[in-house]
Amino acid sequence: MGLNPRGASRRLTANASVDNTEAATPAKSRFTKFLAISAVLLILTAACSQGDQSTWNPAGPVAEKQLLLFNVLLWVMVVVFILVEGALVYAALRYRARPGQPRPAQVHGNLPLEITWTIIPTVLIMALGIWSVVTLWQLEEPPESLGEVLEVTATGHQWWFEFEYADAGGGKTITTANDLRVPVDTSVRVILESDDVIHSLWIPRLAGKVDMIPTHQNHLWFYADSSKIETLPATFLGQCAEFCGLSHALMKFEVTVLEQDDYDAWVEGYGKPPVLSPLAQQGQQVFNANCVSCHTDKGPDAAALVDGRVAGFLAGGKIAPGPNLTDLATRARFAAGILDLNEENLQRWLENPDEIKPGNYMSERASFYQDGVNTLSDDDISAVIQYLISLK
Amino acid sequence: MATLTGVLARPTSHTGVWSWITTVDHKRIGILYGFTSFFMLLVAGAEAGVMRAQLATAESDLVSPYVFNQMFTMHATAMVFNVIMPLSASFFNLIVPLAIGARDVAFPRLNALSYWLFLFGTLLLHAGFLQNQAPDAGWFSYASLTEKPYSANAGMDFWSLGLLVLGTSSVAAALNFVVTIINMRAPGMSLMRMPVFIWMTLITSILLILAFPVITVGLIELTMDRNFGTHFFMPQGGGDPLLWQHLFWVFGHPEVYILILPPMGVVSEILPTFSKKPLFGYPFIIWSGITIGVMSWAVWSHHMFTVGLGPVANSVFTITTMLIAVPTGVKIFNWIGTMWGGAIEFKTPMLFSIGFIALFIIGGLSGISHAVAPADNQQQDTYYIVAHIHYVLFGGSIFGIFAGIYYWGPKFTGRILGEGLGKLHFWLLFIGMNLTFFPMHYVGLNGMPRRTFTYTDESGFQLLNSLSSLGYIVLFIAFVIFIINFLRSSKKEPDAGHDPWDAPGIEWSISSPPPEYNFAEIPQVEGRDHYWIVKEKAREAGQESPAEAHVDIRTIHMPSPSYWPIIIAFGVTWIAGGLLTHYALSFVGGAIAFIGVIGWGNEPATAESEH
Amino acid sequence: MAHAVEPAHHTEVEHTTTGLNHRKLMMWVFLGSDCMFFGTLIATYMVYRGQSLNGPYPIDIINVPITTISTFVLLCSSFSMVQALAATNANDQRGIRLWLLATAFLGAIFIGFQVVEFNQFKNEGLTLGTNLFGASFFTLTGFHGAHVTLGIIWLLAMYILALKGRVGPSTSLDIELLGLYWHFVDIVWIVIFTLLYLIAGFDAGPSPAGG
Repeated sequence: MGLNPRGASRRLTANASVDNTEAATPAKSRFTKFLAISAVLLILTAACSQGDQSTWNPAGPVAEKQLLLFNVLLWVMVVVFILVEGALVYAALRYRARPGQPRPAQVHGNLPLEITWTIIPTVLIMALGIWSVVTLWQLEEPPESLGEVLEVTATGHQWWFEFEYADAGGGKTITTANDLRVPVDTSVRVILESDDVIHSLWIPRLAGKVDMIPTHQNHLWFYADSSKIETLPATFLGQCAEFCGLSHALMKFEVTVLEQDDYDAWVEGYGKPPVLSPLAQQGQQVFNANCVSCHTDKGPDAAALVDGRVAGFLAGGKIAPGPNLTDLATRARFAAGILDLNEENLQRWLENPDEIKPGNYMSERASFYQDGVNTLSDDDISAVIQYLISLK
Repeated sequence: MATLTGVLARPTSHTGVWSWITTVDHKRIGILYGFTSFFMLLVAGAEAGVMRAQLATAESDLVSPYVFNQMFTMHATAMVFNVIMPLSASFFNLIVPLAIGARDVAFPRLNALSYWLFLFGTLLLHAGFLQNQAPDAGWFSYASLTEKPYSANAGMDFWSLGLLVLGTSSVAAALNFVVTIINMRAPGMSLMRMPVFIWMTLITSILLILAFPVITVGLIELTMDRNFGTHFFMPQGGGDPLLWQHLFWVFGHPEVYILILPPMGVVSEILPTFSKKPLFGYPFIIWSGITIGVMSWAVWSHHMFTVGLGPVANSVFTITTMLIAVPTGVKIFNWIGTMWGGAIEFKTPMLFSIGFIALFIIGGLSGISHAVAPADNQQQDTYYIVAHIHYVLFGGSIFGIFAGIYYWGPKFTGRILGEGLGKLHFWLLFIGMNLTFFPMHYVGLNGMPRRTFTYTDESGFQLLNSLSSLGYIVLFIAFVIFIINFLRSSKKEPDAGHDPWDAPGIEWSISSPPPEYNFAEIPQVEGRDHYWIVKEKAREAGQESPAEAHVDIRTIHMPSPSYWPIIIAFGVTWIAGGLLTHYALSFVGGAIAFIGVIGWGNEPATAESEH
Repeated sequence: MAHAVEPAHHTEVEHTTTGLNHRKLMMWVFLGSDCMFFGTLIATYMVYRGQSLNGPYPIDIINVPITTISTFVLLCSSFSMVQALAATNANDQRGIRLWLLATAFLGAIFIGFQVVEFNQFKNEGLTLGTNLFGASFFTLTGFHGAHVTLGIIWLLAMYILALKGRVGPSTSLDIELLGLYWHFVDIVWIVIFTLLYLIAGFDAGPSPAGG
């Protein structure tokens, strides 16, 4: 505060000369504090990684290998971060201008340093890159060592997933919607297609995603590993991971991993005629009159049938490819994994589907919807619901 | 022809609204770009606010998916094309001629045309909002979602046509700056003596010129699919949706380097000034920039790792993408080297520059994790990618741009922006940015896909999303602080002087704000950091280094204002707009543009009356 | 350090760092950009080669002999363009007018051939929406034709200036720039002609079943 500049500078000079280390220590202690906080934050936030859809919780070798690659990279990144960010913060603190400091040495560069810090990252990156490429090739197809492969074709639709088993077991064809059931400890190879726009099939705990592109046939594979799954049957969540329109966020599915016996039983029982109460029989008639053009309820969908529905939809007709409803009542959820399957939800859905899933084609195209509202009688709707919950 | 152009007398005034509409002065054009794009930053930021409000709670019904999808599409599209690119263009305009010792750019009227095309293109892009038909298929608008019937309303046409007009603006500006930088440098300023910002402008401009035509073709093909019956990307007609992706990303990847290289240039100018020592490893920073520019053409399919290109393609792009990290790292090391051993002054421009490096390191590192194709299969299309994007574009580009505003602002306004509010702005932005975007790394890897308007209670995404939404509020406050700082500083007495930072660039040797002709005498450049050399010599000779003296403007012939640029821009925009309304209007727009070109051709650069 | 400053003179030949005129440098850079534009259109055509779901296919309607003639016409127009520049440098006013007009005329003949060709294709059932061949063929050649048409307009504008005696050695740069553009458009056509006509012009549809 004094107006004596020489006095002030003398004091400052005195301080500076007494203690170069004193000037450095605040910087050093600030720096150590910074390191400590970063480490704590990183660990804390890592603890946040949990969940049924989490990539940090692999249940099979594909997701596991992908996570391993990521974890190694993560630690490399953490180390690089600490080093580089640390150097940045250190430089900022250590080389803060002190009052009266002369102009620092006008260094223009350092060739050996440049070469070093170009070559070392290049080597490191190439090593990681080569390992990545090797992993990439390893993950391309299910290895023979894992045994027989179950093939399923998944077709993306706006906004639901169609799963077709050409041979689920014993030559039997099965079509489901949003419901992928697989036996444990079996390689499942999923062929990926789409009938309208680009979608993406993603089951984070089992495998990274691959896109479903019209006119293309992609594939991914996964293997549900019993040693990584606590109890069976186990359910894993999947979700569409490529923006596909209005209700992209509401396009989900479930993967149910079963013991081999349970899986075989499911295959065996698929499509068997349901036991129907009188009301359900009435509902079956309502269903046959109004729903069968888009929804199959009696077994698998033939490819030609689905193609016909797609063509009709594109031509502007009162039709669209709808989820296969065979054995609907054996599913936990419907409407592409967003609603629990129960009478109340079915009622809400049938009455005004657009409120639950904006843009859905049922209320847009089906003839018994006017302005999105169901025009069937309450009786008919109740009957159909009874029918639907009898489908098992 | 003389009668056509003689209808309206050539503008001569240098004051008033009309003088701004007809200006060809690069400094004014830079200011026009700056204000327009800052306004768009607020618009796009508001769109982000809607999203964060919606995602703050699980299963929220604050906005419908219809609105939400428009928000994320327009937020990103505007941020890329209406904010970051034109803010960089603002800097190009304001700084390039001054930093190379020129009186203006090579083609002043073309420069003005670029601005008006930008303004009108931006309006066209956003015009869909007026009809509640804003584009809503995401900023990269993948086919076949963008085709009819899946995108039945006109939103995608607003998108395509708006971007086509904006593209012509960018290419015209890039052509101008390439010629300016190559051909109008002061004597003695060889390429390796140019400021780093000028180098980055040059590389960016070359990337623009070569990359935009690719997306231009894609946009034309999409427009033709939607309106003229072709099937370029429509599966029903044999088209392949992947062709769109290739076209988009061959443009799109160089585009992201277009977004980051200029702010890197800005930071490269600021660090030496406030470290009081030259840039460390100047040639290496330059060569890294050139390498990044060249390699940016070889990595595009890393955006397509999940589309099934096959292991060969994915392997190649994994390797090339990982390699492009090396020159970026080299730059970062050299920036740290600049600070090392310096005498650092923590003025606001320096804070933002250090913040830029700190945040860009994080964004760059997460980028390396995307480069690894198998890991990317889990990361792609999740919030982990959104986190990366924002660390490099917000923590990177926006921080770099703010650094430039605080640094060069005084040169053009004559007033230094308040230090206290500036520091507050910086810290709020830094904290807000991390609070908003760091949690996204986690929520993405926990399974939250991007572009989803909601998530369930059971998903467990609520906590991290709330943090992000909280962060938005901090960011909002930061921007308010900046605006207050800017308004207050504009009202104070000029206090910058010609060289407030004791900086090395020759732009600091002239007054703040500079006279219309920039330099009274074009300097003879003796090396990099020429003005430091000049000041050093003056110090040794025991003299001061005041700003250049002003001279009578009548002795220096500057290009005269012109109304043809805005007229042509108007016509060109209507060529595009006509496709959305009545085709006849396209012909009217074409005719207006044509007349404009004839008028321009007949008009000398400097008016007779000003000789 | 105030001292008298030499007023900068506004001359025709401004000093440039490379010695190249600004507008010439810009024309070269612009042509680089236009290369990418045509390259992308050509890439679209090549990617979709053989992918059309239905005919007509190239072999059904592409007429190589006729298009060879129009290609030759366009090549001749490049020759006349060279002559126009030579005449400008020699201040041969009559020659300037003659060769500029000839170039525009030959360009117009080329466009005429294209118009006839497009019409013929339309009559034989090939339009933009018929198949991928139609889409990519018409888009590519259409944009090329638009470039030629802009060039013709530019040529006519220079012709009108020449009538007023405003074209001569001191403004030869204007003609040179036009020449650069015109030759570029010609070279692009050579590439298109080679790829779309001489090579892909013989592409047939899928072979009939049992054949």
